Amino acid sequence: MTATLVDLPTLDFAGSLIGFPEAHRFALVRVEPDNEVLFRLVALDIEGLEFVAAAPYPFFPDYAPEIDDATAERLELFDASDAMLLVLLTVGPNLGATTANLFAPIVVNVHTRRAAQVTLVNAGYSLKEPLTRHAAAQQAS
Amino acid sequence: MLVLSRRVGESIMIGPDVVVTVLEVRPDLVRIGIDAPRDVEVHREEVFVEVQQANRSAASPAPQDVEALAAGMRDDPKRKKSPDDDTATRPPRRGNPG
Repeated sequence: MTATLVDLPTLDFAGSLIGFPEAHRFALVRVEPDNEVLFRLVALDIEGLEFVAAAPYPFFPDYAPEIDDATAERLELFDASDAMLLVLLTVGPNLGATTANLFAPIVVNVHTRRAAQVTLVNAGYSLKEPLTRHAAAQQAS
Repeated sequence: MLVLSRRVGESIMIGPDVVVTVLEVRPDLVRIGIDAPRDVEVHREEVFVEVQQANRSAASPAPQDVEALAAGMRDDPKRKKSPDDDTATRPPRRGNPG
């Protein structure tokens, strides 16, 4: 059985979200009931802190980062199917001003709900990749 | 700042369970091995600072902007649903980037 994000109501960070040392646990909530791509990550340890995260595949079909062995060990990922990815969005006033952090995705162990924000050094991914870039490139060709 | 001299192969203990070992020394580069518990995060400093800034700018977006983003996706079914049963969050590849 493949777990979906709906099965993961709470993410438990092995450390914390980078820059938020007190934020260890987040509730994962769909932004809209029938939207399977966009989520709110609501901090359970810090009142008023939340993020918007997206499943990367619908926006970035070629995004396939390699997870290093240290992270895999930390999250007890033994197989690629143990893991799922989320990317944090910086949401602007319109789609064109919204970016995704492909450099530092959140990796989740679907079985334990343990999560970590990993940094993909030297892999060429951007901290602020426009959400619209893929669609724009298709239209231009 | 505490300054210690170490040779290749020698280590430093930080607290009871973090071990930092000098693996290799070249004229312009030092390779360091770090053993730390799972809840201790280890990052290159400049990478940490960059991601911290990105996370801070992503934190707590304006509710109306999130609503607008979700509304924009309502008209684009392929972005609202995952393309196959495997959910939209395709598992990452395992590998060792070195």
